[in-house]
Amino acid sequence: MDFQITIVLYLYSMTSKDKEYGTGDGEASSNPDSVESVQKRSLSSKNNSSEGETMKRAAAKKLIERYFFQLIDGCGNPKCDNEHCASSGKAKKLTRNQAAAQAIRLFAQEARLCDTKPTKVPKTHDNGAKGENDKATSENISRDEASGAVAAPSGDSDHPQVLPNKVASHSVADTTQRGPLSKDIPYITEEKLINILETCKRESSYSLLIRTLGEVYSSTDSLSKSFIKQDASSVAPLDSMLERAPLDLKNMKKEDVRMLEGEMDKEIDSQEVEEGGSNSRKIGTNNLLDKGDDVSVDLLSLRRAYQALFEVPGSVFESALVNALTTLTMELDVRLLGDAGRGPDLLNVFVIVAELPVLGTSEYLEVALPKLCRAAARLPIVAQARLARVWARHCKSRIKTLLQALQQLVTLRVISGVFTRDYCVNDEEGVTAPTKVMKILYYASMLAGELDPPDLRQEESEDNGVGVNVGSSENLSGRGSASRQRHRDPLGLELGVDVLDSRKPFIPFSEFYNEPLSDAIEMDKDYAYYKSDADQRKFSFMNYSFILTPATKTLGLYYDNRIRMYSERRMSFFQNVAGQHTNPYLRLKVKRDHIIDDTLVELEMAMENPNDLKKQLVVEFEGEQGIDEGGVSKEFFQLIVEEIFNPDYDDSITRLMVQMVIESVYLTLCVASFFFMQANPQEHFNSVHFSRLYIFLGMFTFQQETGTVWFNPTSFESDAQFTLIGIVLGLAIYNNIILDVHFPMVVYRKLMGKKGTFHDLEEWNPTLYTGLKELLEYEEDDIEETFVQTFRICYQDVFGSTFFHELKEGGDQIYVNQENKREFVDLYADFLLNKSVEKQFKAFRHGFQMVTDESPLNLLFRPEEVEQLVCGSRNFDFNELEEATEYDGYTDDSPIIKYFWEIVHSMSLESKRKLLQFATGSDRVPVGGLSKLKLVIARNGPDSDRGRQETGGGDRAFALETLALLSTIVWKFSSVFQKLPTAHTCFNVLMLPEYESKEKLNDRLLKAINYSKGFGML
Amino acid sequence: MAATRRLQKELQDIRCSGLKSFRDIQVDDSNILSWQGLIVPDNSPYNKGAFRIEILFPAEYPFKPPKISFKTKIYHPNIDEKGQVCLPIISAENWKPATKTDQVIQALVALVNDPEPEHPLRADLAEEFLKDRKKFVKNAEEYTKKHSEKRPSD
Repeated sequence: MDFQITIVLYLYSMTSKDKEYGTGDGEASSNPDSVESVQKRSLSSKNNSSEGETMKRAAAKKLIERYFFQLIDGCGNPKCDNEHCASSGKAKKLTRNQAAAQAIRLFAQEARLCDTKPTKVPKTHDNGAKGENDKATSENISRDEASGAVAAPSGDSDHPQVLPNKVASHSVADTTQRGPLSKDIPYITEEKLINILETCKRESSYSLLIRTLGEVYSSTDSLSKSFIKQDASSVAPLDSMLERAPLDLKNMKKEDVRMLEGEMDKEIDSQEVEEGGSNSRKIGTNNLLDKGDDVSVDLLSLRRAYQALFEVPGSVFESALVNALTTLTMELDVRLLGDAGRGPDLLNVFVIVAELPVLGTSEYLEVALPKLCRAAARLPIVAQARLARVWARHCKSRIKTLLQALQQLVTLRVISGVFTRDYCVNDEEGVTAPTKVMKILYYASMLAGELDPPDLRQEESEDNGVGVNVGSSENLSGRGSASRQRHRDPLGLELGVDVLDSRKPFIPFSEFYNEPLSDAIEMDKDYAYYKSDADQRKFSFMNYSFILTPATKTLGLYYDNRIRMYSERRMSFFQNVAGQHTNPYLRLKVKRDHIIDDTLVELEMAMENPNDLKKQLVVEFEGEQGIDEGGVSKEFFQLIVEEIFNPDYDDSITRLMVQMVIESVYLTLCVASFFFMQANPQEHFNSVHFSRLYIFLGMFTFQQETGTVWFNPTSFESDAQFTLIGIVLGLAIYNNIILDVHFPMVVYRKLMGKKGTFHDLEEWNPTLYTGLKELLEYEEDDIEETFVQTFRICYQDVFGSTFFHELKEGGDQIYVNQENKREFVDLYADFLLNKSVEKQFKAFRHGFQMVTDESPLNLLFRPEEVEQLVCGSRNFDFNELEEATEYDGYTDDSPIIKYFWEIVHSMSLESKRKLLQFATGSDRVPVGGLSKLKLVIARNGPDSDRGRQETGGGDRAFALETLALLSTIVWKFSSVFQKLPTAHTCFNVLMLPEYESKEKLNDRLLKAINYSKGFGML
Repeated sequence: MAATRRLQKELQDIRCSGLKSFRDIQVDDSNILSWQGLIVPDNSPYNKGAFRIEILFPAEYPFKPPKISFKTKIYHPNIDEKGQVCLPIISAENWKPATKTDQVIQALVALVNDPEPEHPLRADLAEEFLKDRKKFVKNAEEYTKKHSEKRPSD
């Protein structure tokens, strides 16, 4: 009897929380033993506990565990005839709770136990680290014996301690504080750390702290057991059932066991709802739904502990901690080389270390962090993915700091290193390892930000079925999709996330660019490494393109394109030798005065053999001697652009009109009209013959609000012509040429393989987006009467006639209400951006891919960067704006106007952008540059400091002025009311009061544009 | 034309409500997206005439705001020579799809009656309005007599 009691007491002493025990016992009220008496006995027996007893207790628990595993997993002997063993097939299939209860019963009955030990690793503990200790073997018992001694510091231990145990013995005199399973490994918790800190302060000696940190932070085992969450969910059913069990296990009544079982079932049910089945998470799967972002580290407690720790002057323990971390990484290296590096175990180590607030400073940055990076970079992809998920979910606040630390590290290494052709940045592990870790952060940042579901990605296969009537398209598409497959990032694949899914990353993508690295990198060499990276031996930054600036990436694309061009040339050389005649170049023979028409005719011929498009472009002007070594084709593109954007376009149109009548070949004109329409969209509304031409050929529609062009859903044109435009776009990229085309961003996203969504409407058609957003935000009950909107929408073609489209079957009878408004908005956006232009866009994309399908475009560039690639960066030429600006009430000689332009020209790019935003409502440069803005500066009365009551209502300027006024009051500037510049964004009118001095103008102008931004963000 | 249920309902409501300041609403049967009507202001100097306006609804209405322009010439700080008017309630930034056309019209009538020189489209008229109201009223009256349409008799 006495023995029985001690077993339970042992079990009790292993439970971490006294309180929990109390309630557990209270629930099992049928138990005759009162809580009080248990506690009394527990205290007395603990005080007297000797090693022998400890051993017996452990043995009892081990026995129960053996029954448990035997029931769940079996003994592994296929011929087993034990009715209580899963291997025999006689035992019933039990849930874990039932098994736990049954195990206790069997223990009480001293039922038969198989000889062989269970082959499987026990599953009672979610954390793999803990599992180690649970093998029900006699060795384990003796190990427990050793740890038992540790657990009771008063007892004399004659066993050699596996590890020095100062932490445990000093700080945790009360062993009940310890987790049940970390018996022989030092570890710390928040509580312990704070105890140590207090002790140290009292003794004014930090040697204990230094020793502790040194021990814990130098061992992966210690660290992965530190700061573990203490909640019930990590306790396996058996443990928690034993916690509640009455003292006398042997003599427990059947009803008691059954009751325990019932209780546990209830509890598990509620846990599972919370956790969503944590067992399956252990296996890293590709399924996105299976988030696998749980971590057993108690992060809140960890952060509190760090906060307390770093209140101590850092220098006290800095070197100890740095040294410990260095030792830790050596151990990590060894573990990661072998197959011992199991996921969750080491995961905790990285999570805990990454939380260290000092990683980005001095010694840590230079000594510890590089080594940590090296270790983290060696983590298997599955573990990296878990780390990314954990960071994204639990450590958002750390992502930015970690990124900064890594950027610092990379920059430091790049700047301080000496790199030559034979030893470039790619060979420097101090650079590549942090880059690899940065990729984990890159994905964590995407996961933590706004993500679109992956089903919006258009699969290649889906796209290849397009009935574009272009010769040999089948084999080409085949090649295309194969090469694209290769470009998926392994980490992204593991996470089920693609850069395209990211709508708004937690940290802007631009913060991942490292300029010193981008400058130092030898892109040709990097490209060579990229090409030879089949065995992953050579590191290529092209697989880590997030760290490279667009300019550097462009260089990588350039090398790829060049190499492809040369290989095409070589191929055709061999073909020529073999007797087939092919042209080694994409040769365009054009007349200077028919440059566009000739080009398009030639390109149409090239479409018959798409591989020709990948040859080097060689341009020949008819009747000229120049041989194209790059210069001529440059001039050619320049001429095309000039021709397209010829300000004297009326002539061109007349010429085109004549041609149209004479030749009736409007294929080429389509393309021309597309460019002309872009060249001067404003004029399209004024010029009669242009609009006729435009309507006749209308492949695209012009969206005045955003200054962009979009596919005409009601176009009568054949697919081939859209394909042609796609080819032109692709050729521009392939040949490194900038075109001044103005597509909305969603076109580039779609080109890269992501469908348009409601969020793309924001940039595609801001007003419509706002209107639909209002619908989503409308919470009143009268939504049906107010909006009177059905699932049938109306749209207009270029002729202005209206068409209707049912977003779903019988849509006209379905009214939009609170329940289905989200569906309506999504269907509406899907129709506008995808469905209505599906045919046109597929053809367009096909043309684009004919040129770019094999290039690493997808690998290197995000849609935003592709746009930059095609269009160049936004050009803010304010001189151009000044020349084109008109005045009302002022002249260009007025002093205030002179001041105005002086101030504007001296502004930063950012301020210029804001000014543009303020005056016109958009910071976009319109097609044809800023001169097309038609800005008007109007005099808004004389300077006056009189307070004014605005009556304008909802105008932007009004709210703006109010806001600015408020803030000036707060800042107690000289005058309480000031007159500020205002703007009519409807007509690009800037209202400027006639200030008396340049200083005042400067002050007011800056105030206006800066508050304009603040207002916009409200 | 069932997809413009909302517009049809609004048109019916406005016609039934019998607004004094906005009448003679004409809508082309083939295109309900284009309305014309007569603004009849109460305040001097515009109460001597009536002004024809055109309201163009976009296909995406009510998710995009309608556009209003004056077909009749008017001497007004907030309406330019081309008949364009900057009405905050239907500006892209402020538009609410729940806003009804009769509210828009009332806002327009209010603006015609009481000019807002703080947000002028014609700075010269705004300055005149603020500095020399007499002259402004005189000019506006003359202009109204010369260009505006006849007010309905009732």
